[in-house]
Amino acid sequence: MIDARNTLQSLTDKGNEQLRPMLERIFAAAQPGAVFSEPVVSGNYTIITASEVTSGGGFGSGGGFGPATPSAKQQPGEEVSQSEQANSVGGGVGGGGGSAGRPVAVIIIGPDGVTVKPVFDLTKIALAGITAGATMLAVLRRARKASKG
Amino acid sequence: MRLKDMFQVQTVSGQPVTVESVTVTPQSQALIVRLPIGGFVWNRPTAILVERDETAKRFPIVDITRILQLWLLGFSLVLSIVSLVKFSQRKERRP
Repeated sequence: MIDARNTLQSLTDKGNEQLRPMLERIFAAAQPGAVFSEPVVSGNYTIITASEVTSGGGFGSGGGFGPATPSAKQQPGEEVSQSEQANSVGGGVGGGGGSAGRPVAVIIIGPDGVTVKPVFDLTKIALAGITAGATMLAVLRRARKASKG
Repeated sequence: MRLKDMFQVQTVSGQPVTVESVTVTPQSQALIVRLPIGGFVWNRPTAILVERDETAKRFPIVDITRILQLWLLGFSLVLSIVSLVKFSQRKERRP
């Protein structure tokens, strides 16, 4: 039983150890290099893009003990000894994550100085407007219904 | 794990870019959430520091999309609350 538990513990530790680099990659998004691009030179102009970066992830592990194979001699309702129960060990480790980026501004370094041009995301604004409008309409309709009834 | 270790807000300066006599240093702010089973990072650009002829000027980076999104959310919330209050007042006044 103790051996099985140790095996399970080592398996879980190994899995967690393998997932640690994944977590480090998530935290690498906190560096300024993830936000600002490499400068692109075009003629007299140098352009750097600034983006908002979001990343996240998580992992988990679990395990359990059980008999290796059901005993042929064992009768239904018959109790199994602890040593028999600890014949096999199972465990698993899983994780997932994702990241997203959105351009916020463009920095232009030219002969006439440095300018910061904001990036306007019309799609996001339109989606937010539609959602806000739909929510407002739903609230108004409910309120009107409630005041009539 | 302490709350201070779990939630961190960092303001970091990036690698300066020098073009002729102009040096541009980008700055960003990151919110880092560290949990025993994972983590989350939100990093956004805040400003650039422009150094020219021994004078430094800070140019803030404004996220117009985010401002408009928040403005729309706030406007719809306020309008919804106001209309709800008005409707309830009208219902109370009715005999």
